[in-house]
Amino acid sequence: MTDASTATQHTASRESGIADDIVAALDAGDPRQLLADRVEQLYRQLPLALAAPFLIAVIASFELWDQRAKELVMLWWIPVFVVSASMTALYWAYRRSPDPSANATQWLRWLGIAALASGVNWGVAGAVFFPSHTDEQQVFLAFLLAGMASAGIPVYAASWPIFALYSAAILLPFTYVLASFGNRLFAEIAILIPVFYMMNVAVAYRLNQVFQSGYRLRHAYGKLTEEHTALNERLEQQLADLTDAHREVAASGRKLALFAERAPIAVFEMDGNATILEMNPAAENIFGYPAAELTGRSLIRMLMPSDRGVLDRKWWEVFVASLQPASHVRTQCVRRDGLEITCEFSLTPLVNEEGDLISVIAQCRDVTQELEAERLKKEFTSTLSHELRTPLTSIIGSLQLLNSGVMGDLDKDMAELTSVAERNAQRLLDMINDILDIEKIESGKFTLNPETVALDELVRESLVLNRAFGERFGVRFQALGEPVKVSVHVDRKRVLQVLTNLLSNGAKFSPEGGAVEVGMVRVDGRVRVEVHDRGPGIPDSFRGRIFSRFAQADSALTRQKGGTGLGLAICKRLIELMEGSIGFTDREGGGSTFYFELPIQAEARRSQAA
Amino acid sequence: MPSTPLNRICYVEDDEDIQRIVRMSLERVGKMTVEVVSDPLKAIEAIVAFGPELVMLDWMMPGMDGPTLFRKMREDERTRALPVVFITAKASTGELNELLALGAAGAISKPFSPKDLPVQLREIWAKLP
Repeated sequence: MTDASTATQHTASRESGIADDIVAALDAGDPRQLLADRVEQLYRQLPLALAAPFLIAVIASFELWDQRAKELVMLWWIPVFVVSASMTALYWAYRRSPDPSANATQWLRWLGIAALASGVNWGVAGAVFFPSHTDEQQVFLAFLLAGMASAGIPVYAASWPIFALYSAAILLPFTYVLASFGNRLFAEIAILIPVFYMMNVAVAYRLNQVFQSGYRLRHAYGKLTEEHTALNERLEQQLADLTDAHREVAASGRKLALFAERAPIAVFEMDGNATILEMNPAAENIFGYPAAELTGRSLIRMLMPSDRGVLDRKWWEVFVASLQPASHVRTQCVRRDGLEITCEFSLTPLVNEEGDLISVIAQCRDVTQELEAERLKKEFTSTLSHELRTPLTSIIGSLQLLNSGVMGDLDKDMAELTSVAERNAQRLLDMINDILDIEKIESGKFTLNPETVALDELVRESLVLNRAFGERFGVRFQALGEPVKVSVHVDRKRVLQVLTNLLSNGAKFSPEGGAVEVGMVRVDGRVRVEVHDRGPGIPDSFRGRIFSRFAQADSALTRQKGGTGLGLAICKRLIELMEGSIGFTDREGGGSTFYFELPIQAEARRSQAA
Repeated sequence: MPSTPLNRICYVEDDEDIQRIVRMSLERVGKMTVEVVSDPLKAIEAIVAFGPELVMLDWMMPGMDGPTLFRKMREDERTRALPVVFITAKASTGELNELLALGAAGAISKPFSPKDLPVQLREIWAKLP
């Protein structure tokens, strides 16, 4: 749209430009081009100016030949040839010139000289032959010279000065002869000749003007045609562009309409007052109203009559004033049949370039069942966890008492079996605890008890507490490098849980007889605790989802090593709740490094306490 | 710290299996004398009759839950001074903190380890004034 309007403006300015060009062309034209055109016109007449006098010279020679002036006639033919040859050469040179218009003045000058030479030739001939011939022949000569002079008008009309020169060269010697002849009639004619000459020159001048304006018109017309063609081409191009644009707009409009029509979510278009302008079939399905019944009515009044929803008139006013999109707006709605449902709206104001609201597009989903499912899921997990824990308490308790030996010694096979039972019961309990933890974290019910903790001491404690677990896998836990003595503000129990998890993962995946090493480093305002193992590393396919729920690289390994697949997911959420971050890298020389970072608390307090 | 070692304990719990495990744990591992009460509604009388040094209460019981029983004990002259330890699978940190503030001596989470239970109780006992 912007492109099109710019193009229109552009065309408008071009059009006024063309009009200016035409006026300028009519006014003056290009003087150099005008001159070149005139010169071209003159040279085009040159063959005529060459051939006609030559023919006339032949006729005149024939008329004058029989008398006593034979030698004179023959002598006269020398300049006739010279002039004709020169003019032919000039014509040939002009036609051969690659760009005669570049040098128009020079060509005009040469032509002027040629015309003058031709005129002089005839004028002198007239003056020489006239006195020595009979009266009839004198009439013939006078007629001939007058004809020659006036024939110059059409030939040299494109340049009146050349005609004036040429004509003067013919008539001047003749007039002189007539005036000095001693005859009264001739004297009177001699007086008339300059008058006729002047009139002829005046006619030539006028003709010259007509030619000039003719040229100008032709130029202007040429230019006009040129511009017109260019304009036409441009218009055609613009028309093609517009057609394309129109087709594209129509196609995207159809696509959009199709999206809205086939979308499983409700789509409304509304004005600034929440009056519904359009709605899609999904909206009809969700709210049970046919489009005709809702169009033109207020969304809020029709669908949110109760005051319990978030999306009320007040909310709408704030939203419209802000002109900012709003997402995940959950609100109570009432269907046509009176059923209450919970809907989630995404509202987007459509704003034009001037910042004015055009309309509001609302997308909406019925989330009633989703919420109910969520609630049931939560209820289920919490009940299940509690109901499972109670019998597990008895199972684990009984097995522990048996295995502890306070009830007396068991025989070897029985002891082995009760150990298996206890270990697996413990595993089941861990899984339930993990599920409870993650459910609490994800439902936002999880509360932390943050306190100032010396992280280096906590790390040392975790190594001691988990030693027994490591021994089960034949793996040692040991510190790597100097501990960083820092305080962090965290939930001590939960950081210990994370450390325990990372250590036990390290132990499970390390080769027997190996070591899991724990180091600490400072990373700009944060402290990083790293747990290095020499295990098989993390498979590529598993890297992306290692912190997801129930993520385990190899389920066969899980059965062998134990674990719920929730451990790392819980660690990530716990660490993030404590404003930290968690991650892993490949360890140089094989194995993996899991680490977490926590913000360091102001160190002054720690040193004072110490 | 009380002058005598912890010996007599009364445990209010409705689940018979857990009753049995706790009894075995405290008697066999901890060498203590244990009285178990199944009905929380008759608990106060039983406690008074037995005369324990410390009372353990289950959290969830039919008829009356642990916290309610605890409050009733606080209201009764005869049981007011007895230290009470909750043994629970459910309580949130907030609720536990509230009970500790009301005067509960401690809380042990379920499932507990019968091997460690006497030790845990003696630790709580040692911290009492």
